[in-house]
Amino acid sequence: MNDKGTWEFGTRQVVYGAIGAALYGVLSWASNFVPLPAAGNVTFRPAVAVLIFFAVAYGPWVGFLAGIIGNTLGDALSGWGFYWNWSLGNGLMGLVAGLAAAAISDFRAQKDIIKAVGWGIAGVAVGMLFASLTEMFVGGIDLNTALVGYFTPAFIGNTVVTAILVPILMIAFAAVASRRGR
Amino acid sequence: MTPAPLSVENLTFKYRTRPELAIEDVSFELKQGELLLIAGSSGCGKTTLARCINGLIPRSYRGERSGKVLLYGKDVNDMEIPEMAQIVGTLLQDPERQIVASNVFNEIAFGPENLGLPRDEIIARVDQAMKRLNLEYLRERETFNLSGGEKQKVALAGVLTMNPSILLLDEPLASLDPASAHEALQVFRSLADEGKTVILVEHRVEDALEIKPDRLLYMEAGKIKYLGGIEKLPKEIDHTQVKLPAPWVVQRVKGLDKVEETARSHKSVERGEPLVVFEDVDFRYGEDYPLILQNVNLTINRGDLIAVLGPNGAGKSTLVKHAIGLLKPTRGRVLVEGKDTREMSVAQIAKVLGYVFQSPTHMLYAPTVTEELEFGPKNLGFAPDDIKVSVKESLSTVNLTGFDEYPPLGLSFGQQKRTTIAAVLAMRSKIMIMDEPTAGQDFANYTKFMDALCNTSNGAHSILTANFASTLFITHDIDLAVTYANRILLFGDKHIVADGKPEDVLKDADMLLKYRVRPTSLLSLNLELLSKTGEFLPAESLTKFVS
Amino acid sequence: MLVTWKYRPRNTFIQSLDPRTRLIFMFSIILALTIPEIWDYRLILAIFAIALTLYLMARIEWKDVRRIWLFIFILVFFIVGLNGLLSGRGGPSSVTNLPSPIIFNVPIKIPFTDIGWDVPITVSKAWFAITQVTRMMTMTLLALPIPYTTDPNVFGTAFKRMGAGDKFAFTMDLAFRFLPTFARDFIITMDAQRARGYEMDKLKGGIPERLRKLSPFIIPVVMQSTVTGEEVIDAMDLRAFGTKPRTWLKVLTYAPRDYVILGLGVAIFIACCTLKWGFGIGGYFVPDFFSNWILGL
Repeated sequence: MNDKGTWEFGTRQVVYGAIGAALYGVLSWASNFVPLPAAGNVTFRPAVAVLIFFAVAYGPWVGFLAGIIGNTLGDALSGWGFYWNWSLGNGLMGLVAGLAAAAISDFRAQKDIIKAVGWGIAGVAVGMLFASLTEMFVGGIDLNTALVGYFTPAFIGNTVVTAILVPILMIAFAAVASRRGR
Repeated sequence: MTPAPLSVENLTFKYRTRPELAIEDVSFELKQGELLLIAGSSGCGKTTLARCINGLIPRSYRGERSGKVLLYGKDVNDMEIPEMAQIVGTLLQDPERQIVASNVFNEIAFGPENLGLPRDEIIARVDQAMKRLNLEYLRERETFNLSGGEKQKVALAGVLTMNPSILLLDEPLASLDPASAHEALQVFRSLADEGKTVILVEHRVEDALEIKPDRLLYMEAGKIKYLGGIEKLPKEIDHTQVKLPAPWVVQRVKGLDKVEETARSHKSVERGEPLVVFEDVDFRYGEDYPLILQNVNLTINRGDLIAVLGPNGAGKSTLVKHAIGLLKPTRGRVLVEGKDTREMSVAQIAKVLGYVFQSPTHMLYAPTVTEELEFGPKNLGFAPDDIKVSVKESLSTVNLTGFDEYPPLGLSFGQQKRTTIAAVLAMRSKIMIMDEPTAGQDFANYTKFMDALCNTSNGAHSILTANFASTLFITHDIDLAVTYANRILLFGDKHIVADGKPEDVLKDADMLLKYRVRPTSLLSLNLELLSKTGEFLPAESLTKFVS
Repeated sequence: MLVTWKYRPRNTFIQSLDPRTRLIFMFSIILALTIPEIWDYRLILAIFAIALTLYLMARIEWKDVRRIWLFIFILVFFIVGLNGLLSGRGGPSSVTNLPSPIIFNVPIKIPFTDIGWDVPITVSKAWFAITQVTRMMTMTLLALPIPYTTDPNVFGTAFKRMGAGDKFAFTMDLAFRFLPTFARDFIITMDAQRARGYEMDKLKGGIPERLRKLSPFIIPVVMQSTVTGEEVIDAMDLRAFGTKPRTWLKVLTYAPRDYVILGLGVAIFIACCTLKWGFGIGGYFVPDFFSNWILGL
């Protein structure tokens, strides 16, 4: 795929951005009811893997839309409110992870899966760092607090989820994609 | 002379991702106001033909295309999407996936909004379409909460607002219950009578005949096998590929001069001990919610092969969810092998009762078929050696041996359906429950599927009778009940309104209609011949009783 | 357990406002507090009072938000407490580095090691923490009511009217459309797998193992959605989506009351900037009454 393909923004991106957002939102909301694995103040949210998967499968715009809208939906459904900086952070997480899309041709191949997970973790780092750092200005906390209180738990949780569930989703997707006509 | 609304000339297409031609050398022409029925089994090329007509080929699906598709004399290749969308309106198979807005008004307005029309014009068009289809009462509703039939009509209204002169209806009956399908068909007929050119793609030929299509185009393996009128049965049409009226099938089988004998041992199986018992069961989701089940009493015995009929939303799924313990009664109790489901976990009940959900896509997840089949037995704590044996036997039972290492998500729909049956077989449950076992499959596939499950040869057991003490399936296809069941539950209005042998329950046409179950030609023919046959039979088997 | 929006129609002043007004007002306050770095308790308290008034005017039922507020309190106190212990090296709270009397010391020890030190809690830090909690609560008071008081169906239109592109705005609408569908699919999938003996609340093993065991629940719905997407693309292409600039049927109009609230937001922003940069008012300081009181304890 060429560069133009990566950054194309048409019906396809709108549809998968919306679908990714809806799934991310619903799963984030479901996290309130389902007992999730947790350790200390790190929660492992499987929803993140779905976001990263959509980014990897459909590109950066889809990742961005799914992240920013999906996080907004999840917060709204759970009743948290509307926190623009975390939504934008989730959007960046998807956008960066989506850069993997151009480099992936076979969703079953080990080297492509590694690429996807690598970009996914990079996305988690960028997105969560952005959101945590904005908290410095919004909440008036300092860098250490932002890193310890916000970034570290979010980064660890999301990285573990990405590393474990994204490969499983990719392998399943390879089978589904083999049935497609276009 | 004005050019024909649609003219297809020597059209051939091959998808980029597949080796074979999807359609080959297809040619036909349509007149204004004509209603054409395109029929054929899945894979015959009818969907590809539809995509060529509405322009998705070559715009969204790539491949090699030759020949021409002309709309009013203009080649679709030379047209832009907005122009095409205002000539050909397409209604897709599943309205659930065609609806893109959260509420009805916005959904119907979606097309004209995309065309960038002025607001007043859009509102006028939406009002007109709603009036035309009698949808005004849905104006303020959310699309998610509509019934299947309502969704279909809303989707159709959304197509009509584009003012297309050609309507392409791609298997529009697939997700509708018989009564809604009947209503939808009447609407299609009236649109043709108003001058729209209507193309109805459908494998349920029997249902489509009701609105007297002007012509039938029948396809097999990508080619046109028959194109012409349908006043009398065209001999080219294969009754095993599309669903024909029972008298046609009889006539055709007689003409073929080879009557196949199908033994149906399940019909004579003796009733055994009770396995599942419902005692005065009421159910509601909560204090503030209405009752969904009211005073349900039911006993499922060994040897039963039960078909549950009834309108959508009447509570059929709620009923069977009580049997597996996913729901617990608000009043009364449900006993599975004598034990109250309130005192059992779903996992414990699963050892007795296997439940195949309607869509395989809600169940399949594993990277290989073997792992998929091991899932249930592992959850139930089977010993590893038992799991191996069980998985192997189940695979061979549903004829999927050799697919052990294949990813279930990559299988065809029919194979996926069989995988879900095997997944339940592998759990060695005593009772099998299937929700709409034929949904999503076309006639040829589901007939094969149900025959494989229910039919026997030479007195041996069928898959169902050999593996399960009892089977229950929900369906709105009355012919399945006629053909395969030995007991019918008619469910309507929160409780069981009739329960008995098919021959007894299904003879009361008035009662069936009251619960939105429409009698079919197969049922009528069976009732007519009942004195000679003594039991309900599939159309082919009726042949020898017709003189 | 069906997915339900927190939104309910209510006959309130807040809900009669244009959704854009609500969002723009919220951003005005966030910017008013952050851009000129307002830490003066008097200004913060005044804005807090406005935010609280608007929150109460929204008339959100307490039982709906009790749990949420509890979690937010815990999070805010955790973060503020952490900040008190860790602060002192850069960031906005470096204001607390000024010499200030120590109230008490908190001993810190890294677990499993002998490394430890004392963190002094100064009067300045204590007052800063109180100010910070108030400031965070002000923003939460504005952010939290939005899903409870805004009809989700107007979100797409609202963003469109605030300058977002057709495609971005429609993505929001489409996501809202699919949300209940996928929520239902998750519930059906859960039921289907439970009928196969799957018990999600009894998953065993380490964290990676437990995550992997969630796949029977997640994969079916996600994979089905990728197939659904292809059909939705067809449906939208066939109805000319994205070919021309769209007409958005829903019209949003600002009423006089919207201008009042928008004016208030802008006024607060300008006031904060002017006070801080023009008059040097709005920076951090510890009021005398607080230091006198706390040191007198």
